[in-house]
Amino acid sequence: MRSRSLAAAACGLSIALLTAACGSGGNAAPASASSKSLTVWLMDGDLTADSVKAVNAAFEQATGAKVTVQIQEWADINARISTALAQDNPPDVIDLGNTDVPLFAANGGLADLTADRADLTAGQQWLPGLVDPATVDGKLYAAPLFAGNRAVVYNKALWAKAGITAPPTTFAEFTQDLDALKASNPAPNFSAIYLPGQYWFAALQFIWDAGGQLATKDGSGKWTGQLESAAAQRGLTAWKDFQNAYSPAASRNVDIKNPDQDAMFAQGSAATVVDSTVNTILKDNPGMKDQIGTFAFPSVTQPGHSQPVFLGGSDLAVAAKSRNRQLALAYLKTAASPAIQTSAVVGTDHWTPVSTQLLDSAVSQLPPTSAAFLQAAHSSVGTPATAGWATVESDLSINQFFADVATGRKTPAQAAKDFDAHLDHALNAAS
Amino acid sequence: MSNRVVLSDRPPRSDRPTPSPSPGGRRAPSSHRPASPRRILLNAAAVLFCLVWIFPVYWMVNTAFKPYGDILRPTPHFLPVPFSLANFTDAVSKPGFLTDLGNSLLLTLAVVLLAVGVAFFAAVGLTRFRFAGRRAYLVAVLVLQMVPLPALVIPVFLSLKSAHLLNSLLGLALTYVAVVLPFTIWTLRGFLHGIPVELEEAAMVDGANRMTVVRLVLLPLMAPGIIATSVFAFITAWNDYLFADVLMKDQGHQTLPVWLVSFSTSTGTDYGGLIAAATISALPVVVFFMLIQRRLVAGMTAGAVKD
Amino acid sequence: MAATREPRSLPYLLLLPATAVLALVLGYPLARLGVISFQDYGLRSLFTGRVGWAGPDNYLAVWRDPQLVPVLLRTAGFCAALVLGTLAIGLVVAMMMMRLGPRLRRAVTLCLIASWAMPPAAGTLVWQWLFQPVYGVANWALSRIGLFGDLTQHDWTTSPTSAFALVWLLVVWQSVPFVALTLYAGLSQIPRSYYEAAALDGAGGWTAFRVITLPFLRPILALVTILSVIWDFNVFTQIWILTQGGPNQGTTTLGIWSFTKAFSSNSFGQGAAVAVVSILLLLVLTLYYLRRLLRSGEEL
Repeated sequence: MRSRSLAAAACGLSIALLTAACGSGGNAAPASASSKSLTVWLMDGDLTADSVKAVNAAFEQATGAKVTVQIQEWADINARISTALAQDNPPDVIDLGNTDVPLFAANGGLADLTADRADLTAGQQWLPGLVDPATVDGKLYAAPLFAGNRAVVYNKALWAKAGITAPPTTFAEFTQDLDALKASNPAPNFSAIYLPGQYWFAALQFIWDAGGQLATKDGSGKWTGQLESAAAQRGLTAWKDFQNAYSPAASRNVDIKNPDQDAMFAQGSAATVVDSTVNTILKDNPGMKDQIGTFAFPSVTQPGHSQPVFLGGSDLAVAAKSRNRQLALAYLKTAASPAIQTSAVVGTDHWTPVSTQLLDSAVSQLPPTSAAFLQAAHSSVGTPATAGWATVESDLSINQFFADVATGRKTPAQAAKDFDAHLDHALNAAS
Repeated sequence: MSNRVVLSDRPPRSDRPTPSPSPGGRRAPSSHRPASPRRILLNAAAVLFCLVWIFPVYWMVNTAFKPYGDILRPTPHFLPVPFSLANFTDAVSKPGFLTDLGNSLLLTLAVVLLAVGVAFFAAVGLTRFRFAGRRAYLVAVLVLQMVPLPALVIPVFLSLKSAHLLNSLLGLALTYVAVVLPFTIWTLRGFLHGIPVELEEAAMVDGANRMTVVRLVLLPLMAPGIIATSVFAFITAWNDYLFADVLMKDQGHQTLPVWLVSFSTSTGTDYGGLIAAATISALPVVVFFMLIQRRLVAGMTAGAVKD
Repeated sequence: MAATREPRSLPYLLLLPATAVLALVLGYPLARLGVISFQDYGLRSLFTGRVGWAGPDNYLAVWRDPQLVPVLLRTAGFCAALVLGTLAIGLVVAMMMMRLGPRLRRAVTLCLIASWAMPPAAGTLVWQWLFQPVYGVANWALSRIGLFGDLTQHDWTTSPTSAFALVWLLVVWQSVPFVALTLYAGLSQIPRSYYEAAALDGAGGWTAFRVITLPFLRPILALVTILSVIWDFNVFTQIWILTQGGPNQGTTTLGIWSFTKAFSSNSFGQGAAVAVVSILLLLVLTLYYLRRLLRSGEEL
């Protein structure tokens, strides 16, 4: 029976493992159950630390509650939010990209805020691009935090070197300017404009500009992809011609991150980019502060107008399983309030504010580079407000679609046919 | 038998009682030959191989030490001149580094100890006893090795949720232990197989009990095998991103690979910081490997050799 | 045999901890994966716990998907290319190490270990970096060699073939160390007297390799092959970061397919069905080895 000690050891190990497993079950019980504490998930790069501090201070002053903010990274964010919302003690407030709200709302992950709408808006008129995706089947599931859209960002010094003194107002002027830039900078890694093929936010502007649409919804609620339409095809071809002519060949199959277009701009190897903020460039190269100019992307079809832009941005939602619903609502209200919007969202972070009223009142506060972003925001379009849209973004099929066209792997017609089929499936599938 | 753990520059030795030549005859035959065209060719091939294989590692370190503006250059600079530590200071000062590093160290240590301990018992059971279902057990363990891990994320999440082990380092540690167990059991089992049972029996006749035999006879002999499997467990626990990301909701419970991903944001990737962070994260593994590399190679033979 | 003296329950007790962990953390989820593959399991189920049965619908959907056959062929072909490449290079390196002097041998070992120790995510990142258009040092070097023209603007992920080549290089770079070091350890256990005897009998290098090296290495080769097949069949991180399965799903393998079905389309049921199919396929591929395992005697 000498073996007893060995058996006992093995047995002991199993018991230790199991009891440790069970024991920790008790510890895992939520600390947030205590009534006066709120957990908020904010996305990295949305609000600056100063703005978060301002929101939290206002909230804590109004409610006397404590707030814990956890900054989340973008990589695989939907999987993380999905599993967080599935838990019994989810974060109370979640910052969601506006196009992702329908996915979580339609599947029962978010609390219905319809009854509190009047309280949350406080009389403001929220921007449709932010509030439409947050509305599913007539019910409100999120309050807007800020808006963001894209404009052309250019390096004043490089443009001046090419003999250009004023930003273009028409598409024809714009292409002339880019021709001049190309002519004055023969270096192989120089880009007159760097516009990556997978950068679908920018590519969509050409389609909308030509009168095309991504998809339409019929009376029965069924979505149909519309990229094969004549208007969308014109826009797609115009985008391809522009991209191929002025952005380097190496950019046809890549996204904005790899290589990093902001870094290229900050180093002066790209004279022009399309971007949603100049903050990243300034972080890369603070010395460029007075060297950056912006203008809204000129329309190809209507001289004197600018292209419609994709209105991105973030919304704040309350988890359906949150145990602190009232406090969470108070946080949403604080963040969307005119005071915070004016001082923090616009004043500190230079984002586009959430309501039409604020859009007008805020312009005066902004630095000159921000004017173009607000000007562009006046004509904005959203993506299809359906839970299935998130699929198209997260499976990267929309990136592939535009890269297929830019690289010439597919003709615009063939690419559109394939992508429309995918849209028909994806937009109607989820929920 | 103690030569199994002897540190040596020579190739690892067979410790099997079967044909065992004298230690002096262990060196590879051709290493005595004078320089010949064949030898030069061989050495040239070895040098070429080394250059190709080490290049990505060298390039990572080289890039990490370049100042920000030097990273994106169409003409590569093969030495980090001018030299800069800014990427490292940036990376280390990014919030969460120390917490995540601490979590990763704790987690990895726990996984290595648990996995090797649990697998050791199992390996003893599988090699020193004959019982019903032994081979089926072995095959089942191998089949578990075949499961694609990304597909298991949601089921593991649901299971840990039922067990109230979400968001706990213990839950994550158990997950990693389970992930490395099949390989660990197989390797240790094969290794134990090569150790003659007679040794243990002799010790037992001398009055030692089972635990003493394990401690004084088996463990020393199995050191290389234990090291090889520890390395495997170490790498798995240290490098995993997928499970850590989904199973750990609170920031205070996250690990280094999750921190690594935080250099990639919606507005762009901080490549300098990312490469420096990757270097920092690879460092402990490389150092660990270097320290044990000689024993590791010996341990890799594991039980795979069955003569 | 020591076993005769032991109580019959002892081996089971020894296996208890391993079995408990495996059953709870792999076995139960695996069973759950099987169940989910027959369910209409989406985000709503995850949030609310309410699940509907789908019967065989998920499998039928996978069966009818025009992607199925290309994905299967691609997965098998890519796995084969990886296993062959890894084993061939690993074996050559191991045999080279046997013939090297101690210094060069140690240098080779260190290089192997450095690439092995690199976290896969970091390695993948460096790969992206090396082969980046305009700024990648690999593109620069190939252009300098001049054989293929100017490649500085070339993007390797533009076509499925070159994208696969990129992933292949990365995975082989990461997996050769394990194979080479294992085979080297095995080679070094072959008693030298065998070769001496063969040389006396007038056997050449190739004959000695065929008659002594290969038979001796066979068990290690079998183990390394089976592990490589399993690992390479399930390669995920490298493909996901480098190509996300594109262009045009041209690099979508079973693992990527299952992942996008589960996490992009939020159809965990279909994702689970693909995963189950891929486990079954892997079982079929390794059946020969498994049968030998089950049949063979005491050696196992």
